[in-house]
Parts: sequence; structure tokens; C-alpha cells
Amino acid sequence: MSEPKIRFDKVLKAYGPLKVLEDLDFHVDASEVVTIIGPSGSGKTTVLRVLMTLEPIQGGVMYVDGEPLNMMMSDGQLVPASKAHVRRIRDKIGMVFQSFNLFPHMTALENCIEAPIHSKGMAKSKAIDESMDLLAMVGLADKRDHYPSQLSGGQQQRVAIARALAMRPEILLFDEPTSALDPEMVGEVLSVIRRLAESGDYTILLVTHQMGFARDVSDRVCFFDGGRMVEQGKPEALFGHPRNERLKQFLSKVLEAV
Amino acid sequence: MEWRWDFTFDVVLPRLWEAAGITVYATFASFFLALIGGLVLMLLKTAKNPVVSGIATELIELIRATPLLVLIFFLFFVLPEFGLTLPPLATGILAIAIYNSALMAEVYRAGLQAVPKGQWEAAIALNLSTYKTFRRIIIPQTLPPIVPALGNYLIAIFKETPLLSFVAVAEMMHAAKLIGSEYYRFTEAVTIAGLFFLVMSLVSAQLVRQVETYVKRSIQH
Repeated sequence: MSEPKIRFDKVLKAYGPLKVLEDLDFHVDASEVVTIIGPSGSGKTTVLRVLMTLEPIQGGVMYVDGEPLNMMMSDGQLVPASKAHVRRIRDKIGMVFQSFNLFPHMTALENCIEAPIHSKGMAKSKAIDESMDLLAMVGLADKRDHYPSQLSGGQQQRVAIARALAMRPEILLFDEPTSALDPEMVGEVLSVIRRLAESGDYTILLVTHQMGFARDVSDRVCFFDGGRMVEQGKPEALFGHPRNERLKQFLSKVLEAV
Repeated sequence: MEWRWDFTFDVVLPRLWEAAGITVYATFASFFLALIGGLVLMLLKTAKNPVVSGIATELIELIRATPLLVLIFFLFFVLPEFGLTLPPLATGILAIAIYNSALMAEVYRAGLQAVPKGQWEAAIALNLSTYKTFRRIIIPQTLPPIVPALGNYLIAIFKETPLLSFVAVAEMMHAAKLIGSEYYRFTEAVTIAGLFFLVMSLVSAQLVRQVETYVKRSIQH
């Protein structure tokens, strides 16, 4: 059995006495599309944030392709990872944020080529070629010279997706990518994510409240509650025949709202 | 009261013109030292080590709570007790620089805090190094709000330089006082000194405004 793309081994994330993730064991296989659902405060977004190394964890080990991310091997022992080690592993991971987080002082194209040039050391002309392809893929080639403030929310989020892809990640993390959007713009962003999910080129971890979309694109859905993964399974099973009581309550609430 | 033009042109203007050079020199020297000092104080204040940040915070409070004239006197009369004797001009520049460093540290800090947390997070997600994050992402967003504020400190420092006359630095106000007591005529010298300050304040305010526009245009769209 091959090593999963992402593996959490007894990961603990706590703010003081509050445990946001408790001894989390969790894995995602290569090219798998996994959606995490759960009520607010369940720790679902935290899974993405600790994997992106936006926040430190207080215990456990996260692995990418079998290599530890927050730790590293030294003389046969796991020791806390150096900055250089984290940067090397982190290079495989890209993230799309709820609030886009585009760089406001750069155009759409400049946002995309920034990291390939200044993190990967790619030649500018090559970075521009690749980023233009990506902007075309998300349908925004004609907006290359627009600043984020001149774009709609949906357009900004699509630029943000192109920006993440420009780093050629193997793993894509989507943190509630449509939650900050007006309803009429949700579709354009979801259709881009759907294409990425169906391409099979990426291992995708998605946190969303779009249950219908999660059911459509996911290979597996995980339900988080109180910092633990309470139930997981194929979308048909999890949505069709939930076993856990909290999951049933959660689904009846969110599906009612639709 | 009578205004004497021959006295104005023969005595007051030449001597004040000379002193104006000292004023401008003291202004810019203090300003640039304060730019660096403020950055250092801000970095110390935001340091992870609580002892370092605590000391820096107290130091900033202490400096801000002290009148500049007291600080000038303190450096001028107390530093020599510790064996450090600087010329009056250097002492004065140092005092103004220290005083304004404490104020500028706050400007820097406010500028940095104005950059949303999401910008740092995007930089991490794009695997940019800490240096590139500051250089390419954070500082360009920090400059537009802080440049006008720092520019106002340049003008404020300029108007603080007359305090240096108390420790006999030959800046404009000091020159005006000397002329006054030598010739028993204060009207021309003090008026011309005041006009100098007015004109130079207006010119530098205009300059600051242009730098502001330039920064906005070159860094933010």
C-alpha cells in the first residue's frame, strides 16, 4: 500500500486550554478530493491552516508524501523542522482563502507571477506565459492588468486560484472559497474548482458549506465536530445514510436552509 | 517702531542665511536618524522576547512623556558627566532624533498593523521567504499610509530646531537673538527668522505632498 499524499498523525492544535484539533489521525490519498464539513468551531478550517503552516501545532506530525512537514529527520530522529525544510515541503501545497487575500498593489497577472519568480526563481517570461495560461483557464485573461479592487469577488477568487496554481502545487487547499461571495458569483468559482477536481491532477482538500457541490465533486466527505473527525465516507453514504447523531442534526440544519 | 532696510540687508539677511544652513542641516540629520531610530524601536517593541519588548515600550513612553527641551538639556549637561562630550550641534541633533524616534516608532507600528493578516498568510501559502514577504508584499503596502505621517514629522522637526538655541547652536533663532542683543534691535532679525521658517515650512509641506503623490502612484495603483 503506497504512502498517502497527506497524513496527520495524532495532530494536536490548541489555543491555551482550548483544543481545536485533538489527536487527529487523518489521511488523503494522491489525486483524492476530500471535503471537510462541520459546524463552526469544529476545527475544519484549522486542518487546512495547520497543513499550510499558517499556525503551529502543539503535538503530532503531519506528513506530505511520507515526509514530515512540521518535523524533520536528523540522525534518525524526528526533530522540529527548520525553516528551509518547511519551505521545501510547503512548496507542494497551495491554498485558496475565503477572503481571497490577493495583493492589492499588484495586477491580476502580477499577483500570479510574484511567487513563481520570487520563490521558485522562475524566469519572468516563462512565469508570464504560464500565468497567462492559468488566467485564461479561469476565464480572466482579459483582466490581466486589472487590480484586485477593480474586480468582482468572483473574479478575485478566480485570480487567487490561478495564483495558487502558478506555483504548480500538488496539493490544493480551499478554505470556504465561496463563503465571502455574493450568491450570483458562487457558480463561476465552483465551476473552476470542479474542473480542477475532475482533472485528477491535484490532491484537493476543501472546506465548504456548499453541500450539493461537496456531494458532486468529492471522493470522500469528512464530518468534523469539536476538534475530532466524527464520521467520514463516500458522499452518497455520508449524506444519504448518516450514522452519527451530531451529523444528522448538522445535515438537517444545513439542508433545511437550502 | 521703525523698520530699517539697510540693517536688514547688511546685517540680518547675511547672518541669518548662514544660520539657515545649520537649521536645514540639523533638520535633515535629525530626521534621518529618527527614521532609523524609529524603525529600530518599533522592531524592539514588537520583538518576541517579552523583556526586550517591555523595555522598548517603557523607553518609548519615557521619551514621549519628556519635553524635548528637557531632553536636550539632559543630553547636553548630563552626558558629559558620563565622559561623553559631544559638540552642541551633535547633541541637539541626537536629542531631536531620539525624541522623534519614539514618535515615529508608533507610525511604523500603525503602518504595519494596517496590513491585513491575510496578506502574510497568502505570502506563506505562496512560499515566499520572510525577506521577500517584507520587501515585495508588506513594505509596499505599508509605505503609502506612513509616508505622509513621516513627512509631517519632517516639518515638525524643522520647527523644533529653534530649541537648539538654548544650547547655543548657531541655528536661525540663535542668530536672530545674537543680532538682537548686539545691536539692540530685535524687530528685523526675529521677523526675518520667522519669515524664513514660514517660507521653508510651506516649501517642505509642498515637497512632502509631492513625495506622497509619487509614492502613491509608484507603489499603489
